[in-house]
Amino acid sequence: MVRYLGFRYCSVLGAAAALAIASPAAAQTTVTIGIGTQDTTTNTATTGVIIRQLKLLEKYLPRDGKYANIKFEFEWQNFTSGPPVTNGMMANKLQFGAMGDYPLVVNGFTFESNPESKSRLIAVAAYSLEGSGNGMVVHKDSPYYELSDLKGKLVSVPFGSAAHGMVLKAMQDRNWPANYFQLVSQSPEVGSTNLQEKKIDAHADFVPFAELLPFRGFARKIFDGVETNLPTWHGVVVRTDFAEKYPEVVVAYIKAIIAANAWLRADPKLAAEKIQEWTGINKEVVYIFLGPGGNMTTDPTIKKPLIDAAAVDVKVLQNLGRMKEFDPTKWVDDSYIRKAYAELKLDYDAELKSTKNYEVSGEDKFCKKPIGDPRKAGEVWVDGEGISPYSSPACTLGAYADIKAKGKKINVAYVFDTARGIKLFADQAFFAVAADKSEIAPFLLKKDAEAHATKIKGKVLGFEDALKTVVSGG
Amino acid sequence: MESIALRREQQTAAEPATGAEPSYAPTVQSQGGAPPQFALYLRRWLALNRSGLRAVLIGAISLALFLLAWHLLTEYRVVFFVRFTNVPSPSAVYESLTRAMHDSTFFMHVILSCRRILFGFSLAALIAVPLGLVMGRFRLAHEILFPITEVLRPIPAIAWVPMAIMLWPTNEQSIIYITFLGSFFPILVNTLHGMSLVDPVLVRAAQCLGAREMSIFREVYFPASLPHIFTGLTVGMGVAWVSLIAAEMISGQFGIGYFTWEAYSLVQYADIALGMICIGVLGLGSSALIRGFGRLVMPWSRT
Repeated sequence: MVRYLGFRYCSVLGAAAALAIASPAAAQTTVTIGIGTQDTTTNTATTGVIIRQLKLLEKYLPRDGKYANIKFEFEWQNFTSGPPVTNGMMANKLQFGAMGDYPLVVNGFTFESNPESKSRLIAVAAYSLEGSGNGMVVHKDSPYYELSDLKGKLVSVPFGSAAHGMVLKAMQDRNWPANYFQLVSQSPEVGSTNLQEKKIDAHADFVPFAELLPFRGFARKIFDGVETNLPTWHGVVVRTDFAEKYPEVVVAYIKAIIAANAWLRADPKLAAEKIQEWTGINKEVVYIFLGPGGNMTTDPTIKKPLIDAAAVDVKVLQNLGRMKEFDPTKWVDDSYIRKAYAELKLDYDAELKSTKNYEVSGEDKFCKKPIGDPRKAGEVWVDGEGISPYSSPACTLGAYADIKAKGKKINVAYVFDTARGIKLFADQAFFAVAADKSEIAPFLLKKDAEAHATKIKGKVLGFEDALKTVVSGG
Repeated sequence: MESIALRREQQTAAEPATGAEPSYAPTVQSQGGAPPQFALYLRRWLALNRSGLRAVLIGAISLALFLLAWHLLTEYRVVFFVRFTNVPSPSAVYESLTRAMHDSTFFMHVILSCRRILFGFSLAALIAVPLGLVMGRFRLAHEILFPITEVLRPIPAIAWVPMAIMLWPTNEQSIIYITFLGSFFPILVNTLHGMSLVDPVLVRAAQCLGAREMSIFREVYFPASLPHIFTGLTVGMGVAWVSLIAAEMISGQFGIGYFTWEAYSLVQYADIALGMICIGVLGLGSSALIRGFGRLVMPWSRT
């Protein structure tokens, strides 16, 4: 009975729609496209905020053929985490959604039981094959320097997020029992405030919080996702009912992602400043992720290691009793992205194979030599002037001291972790300095720096002390 | 309740046949006389509890109809402007419930939430009622405090989360603080309202009879505004449960509000519904407790 009513209602609507199409006055139909983004999650920028602000999607939308009479309207919705995006997609209020690896597989799995539509992974936003981006931070005044210091302590992480996966993987790697930490679930907003108030001992979170909280001055990163060596990534999913009806729109969306990537890499400093303006995340933090040699590689191609990582995520969720059978390989649909690459005359397979990021390059103006190894380089961002590359940590620190002596304001300086190659804020790093000052090696972790210092017969210094050494050592 | 009555009838009918009860077995007359006597009791009991029974019966039927409608709407995934396509069905929620029942943490969630509500609500009642009485009696107190409470009152619980974390030393206190805020304002506003409705003639009469301020408070103002205070308490209890999810976002591990929130972050619709229903049932139970208490305190009223 109820069903019959529903059917009748639909048929009435259908008749009305048919009438509307028939009458010449209303020749145009309007299709609303809902896109769920995570503006604050910096590494989804190329699939969300950049496309929205630069109106890239409008540029690539199909206009002829069956689209001649269709007017597209966009409804951009911004969330701080993935699950609300999935909720909106399930309710068909959103057709596209961008989120991190864990929320993505939850999205795919949740859609399995949706009779109207499934969801398919159509593109990747950004990835880190080593798992950088997620991280764990402690209060800067706390006595904790590595994970094992936190045994039995209160650690919060947003459950069901990529950061949650990182924590579980780290514990699994060390054969720690599930109750090694007192693990509680807190959203980034709640966890950040709690950490600032020292209500929790540590907070693990996804991009950009593990960098943002230290940058805001009250936290220190003690664990980076690279130590799990499990890829982490963000991607875009689409509702299949929409994609089947308007495949050209999906292709246009991917073209917009490619364009956003090109825009970002053409001028990363400008991009970081713009993203700060649009999302409120500090440009220095945006740059550490999306800048050259950054902790995230923006690349829309759907690489196998990422899907393998998703399969690991599924297992973790299954072990928690949060998911039943789900096969990520069946959920990937690369037909749209292949089409987009072909239409833009780009080589999809070549980019699929490449896992190269764009790197720091140019001429070191302080030590007067070109950048040799980009992952040994450094950068200094002078307020109002721009970002200059330097060929080594020593040159970076030297240049930093020099610029400071000239009375200029420095926003931030970046160096790379000597062992792991991840980009660091120089003022948060630990420096292993050789006794004869011949070598200065920056590290994220105190224990890595200490190990290296023993090897080179030096000592471990903080940023300020390392800076002094460089100056006095001339 | 109806089913209990029915069962009792069946039991009595069965007893003479088995002859297990020695007092019944020896006398033949009582064996024949018992059913009519019972029927009499039953009729009397029915007559006495007619209105109560009626309410229970209709309530049960309406709940059953609600469940049935929910089942049909989700079973056939009805789309009639409102879309039931992905709303979990009652059986899915029941499945979640059985799973939760096998897990001791679910009881932990419920018990901790009840404790938080109890503390938050009791504190609110202990502070808001006297404050309302004082504000209703003394104009200066009203003039000073009323603007503050009116500014704070509309602020939703969820907006308080970051402030609550910073204000209180432990998270448990932050959570209780948010449930406290939820129930504080309805109680205060209703107490004030009750005070404003106290017949001034009664107050003047008491004053003429030489009553002091304390006695007037105790004998006139307080009893006269009690019905409104209890309305406030009932509403306040409801709002305390409403603010629970916001409050328990802070907790990060326990509480039925947290359970619901976590289910949302893992997109488990059946668990979300289970949490919602659980909060609803607990809210209903606690409101019923307050109403029962109100009847005890105010035997003269018929609320």
